Amino acid sequence: MAVGSFFGSFDWSAFLNALILGVSIASIWLIAALGLTIIYGTAGVINMAHGEFIMLGAYSSYMLQNYVGLPFFLCVPAAFVIVALVGLILERGLIRYLYKRPLDTLLATFGVSLVLMQGVRLIFGSDPKYLAVPPIFTSNFQLGFVNISAFRVIVLGITIALVVALWALFYRTRFGVQVRAVMQDKEMAASFGINSDRVYMLTFAIGAGLAGIAGSLFGVLNIVLPTMGTGYVVQAFLVVVVGGGTLAGSVIAGGATGELQSVFAYFTNDTFARFMLYVLIVVFLRIRPQGLFAPSAKRR
Amino acid sequence: MNIYHNVKAQWLAYAAFFAVLALVPVLVSDSFLLNQFATYGVFGLLALSISLCWGFGGILNLGQGIPFGLGAYGMAMTMQMQSQDASNPLPPFMLNNSLDHLPMFWEPFRNTTLGIVLSLIVPTLFCAIFGGLMFRARVSGPFFAIMTLAMLSAWYTLILDVQPYTNGANGITPPSPLKLGEIVVDPYSPAAYWTVLVLLLVATVTAKLMTLSRFGLVVQAVRGDAERVRFLGYNVAGYETLVYTISGFIAAVAGCCWVMLTQYVSPAQFDTTFSLSMVIWAGIGGRLSLLGAIVGAFLIQGAQSYLGDTFLNTWLLVLGGFFILVVRFLPKGLAGLVESALGKLSSRRGRDDGNGVAASRLVPQPGE
Amino acid sequence: MSFLEIRNLSKSFDTTQVIVDFSIEIVEATLCCLVGPNGAGKTTTMDLITGRQKPTSGQILFCNDDITGLDEHEIARRGIGRKFQVPAVFRDLSVRQNLEVAYSKSTNPIKNMFRFRATGFAQKLEEVATLAGLTDRLNVEAGILSHGETQWLEIGMVLMQDPRLLLLDEPVAGMTEAEIEKTVSIFKGLKATNTLVVVEHDMAFVREIADVVTVMHMGSLLAHGPIAEIEANARVREVYLGDAEA
Repeated sequence: MAVGSFFGSFDWSAFLNALILGVSIASIWLIAALGLTIIYGTAGVINMAHGEFIMLGAYSSYMLQNYVGLPFFLCVPAAFVIVALVGLILERGLIRYLYKRPLDTLLATFGVSLVLMQGVRLIFGSDPKYLAVPPIFTSNFQLGFVNISAFRVIVLGITIALVVALWALFYRTRFGVQVRAVMQDKEMAASFGINSDRVYMLTFAIGAGLAGIAGSLFGVLNIVLPTMGTGYVVQAFLVVVVGGGTLAGSVIAGGATGELQSVFAYFTNDTFARFMLYVLIVVFLRIRPQGLFAPSAKRR
Repeated sequence: MNIYHNVKAQWLAYAAFFAVLALVPVLVSDSFLLNQFATYGVFGLLALSISLCWGFGGILNLGQGIPFGLGAYGMAMTMQMQSQDASNPLPPFMLNNSLDHLPMFWEPFRNTTLGIVLSLIVPTLFCAIFGGLMFRARVSGPFFAIMTLAMLSAWYTLILDVQPYTNGANGITPPSPLKLGEIVVDPYSPAAYWTVLVLLLVATVTAKLMTLSRFGLVVQAVRGDAERVRFLGYNVAGYETLVYTISGFIAAVAGCCWVMLTQYVSPAQFDTTFSLSMVIWAGIGGRLSLLGAIVGAFLIQGAQSYLGDTFLNTWLLVLGGFFILVVRFLPKGLAGLVESALGKLSSRRGRDDGNGVAASRLVPQPGE
Repeated sequence: MSFLEIRNLSKSFDTTQVIVDFSIEIVEATLCCLVGPNGAGKTTTMDLITGRQKPTSGQILFCNDDITGLDEHEIARRGIGRKFQVPAVFRDLSVRQNLEVAYSKSTNPIKNMFRFRATGFAQKLEEVATLAGLTDRLNVEAGILSHGETQWLEIGMVLMQDPRLLLLDEPVAGMTEAEIEKTVSIFKGLKATNTLVVVEHDMAFVREIADVVTVMHMGSLLAHGPIAEIEANARVREVYLGDAEA
């Protein structure tokens, strides 16, 4: 009887809405985490400046749109190229000296994030900037009884496309074979003539570029601020940690955490949901410290 | 042998350092400045706690703001309740948030002793539980750092969100200074400065003794190769949890002192920037040297307040750049410079028989 | 009564079986050499005994106590010491500190906070340092030791632990002839009071020191017995000695 009334009064359409919103949250967290995943997965570098790469993506789109007049959908690939170049410079100038010191790369990239954030703040100021998109993308549309914004669907679409593209890159190309060889055993890969230096460099640039794409999309979802990256980077890190640093792991971890966030938020509120999610992740790591799909640890 | 590694010389340096700090209240008559110096002491405590955990234990902790902030909130709640009485039982911000009775978790803070004890125990307990969970699961290195960062941001959002209980973004501003029995601790008085200085001294000496003990030795071995230590019969998780918890306790003490000095606490104490700046202090000063870390905090916070808010953005830019250089070229920080300078000095005197620890060598990091 | 007994031990990673139904008994105060081609599962066996990995099935008994699935430090405290294939020492600590950490009579972290000198350490240090030839290298940072010295340091660390059973993974790799001879004499001395299991590829060394030889192949036991018996074994010659000693 009680159960029946519970289901009777349960608002299924609102709950379904929460589930669909969860997919959208998941796609946002995942696209923020993609670059981080491949950089961590390949080179073992925790890039604390990832959030600022996202921010740079948003600002470069903003500049291209306002000073060059580039249409928004060309700004996205342009942001990829620009931020990838920044990543390339960072890797060549700093990161490559620190590959043997994982904690120090984390710290050095934190220094980089400080420099990038303050640099942008000095140039553009602290007031928010906005990215414009064609009006049809800002509208909401009705899908059955669920109401979603068109742009979130586009973000979801781009996320799926990028995951497929990365999968193809890592599992269907010669470069991908090289990357996986370097990941498993750098010395062995070197003896087969694979230049691990070059692999790390390119992976880092691609990872940075992916953050650039995420940034130009987030600039539309939200306002563009020098501090915007910090909001996404913790979630992105958690996706990588829970996923164990592999692409498949990140996809599943992103999906699971995004859905859980949305469902918890449906029963409580956004902030409390996030607190619960983080506590849950701590408990999860107690049980599976290596994450969902960690490559087997190197043995002595 | 390099005098830098001589334990007696190290104790002498500590004595000299604290003697100089003890002179401050004699030389400084401006009470505002004295209060400022006392807050540097709080930052010194924080840098010390980071040096203990990260420098000696190899546990990079980006969430030291959690025990600091929890301690600070506990102290602020205690001091706030000292201003409430039977006719006026609720802090004003609760009335503004239309609460009609004191929330359960505020009740114990009506008693000053209990309040202060809780301010220290709750954060310590948090560290013990969180650290225990993580270290027993063998989460370490960058992953642990990320998890502390995530926990920090979780606390930040939580404290911000429960506005009726914590006054959200505005924070808590106890109207009057801390009263301990009959004594009122005026934050601008030399007494407040002395309190912080004595706590810093006790914490430093305890931490130094700890690093010299067998516990400290095992902890340093864990930093080098945790796996190997297990096969020698040590419960590594126990050692890691303990050093992390002690470091958290020091941070909680710092949090209490900070509110005593500023009569203010807000979610900004849980902000990632603040926790990361503690790591920068210890990193630039020298994480492997307790004293170096404290000096690092003094120098950086001193420079920051000297330059003032006008140059804050430029200063942070320079600080970030400087930090990158230190990580890249000077992993032992400024203390490492002193170490190699003293090393050169003693080898010039021809006393180095090639048997001493090579001074300029960088600390090898754990391999995989 | 058997000292170390392994019963039907199996270990698989995903779908590959690394150890297949492996059983063996080690008698107290003997030196057993564990040999076999690469990938035979020698190091994995050591990992399973010391708790570094948990077996998929099977039992490990040490002095009639079941130690299967215990944590590394619990197994170490029962008196099993281990030297790794790739020497693992604390590179940023001095040689003396390395040996001091290894002298693990007291392991309680809280008690160790109040302990600055371990009782009986000086004497033990003297003894082990002399044995390992590290007496005048005690204040050197372990990271700058030569490869041979690092091997000695790690053997010294195992000795500091005072274990009843020593598991040594390739202890003479990278040593000179003279050093190997010295190792032989040390190991022969240890046999009187301790039990040793040594993984080694160098058959000359094995012949010199082994009381019994255990041959592993593809994760299971191929042969077990005195060296003469093993060298006469046709199966062993075929899979292992044949290639190595041809």
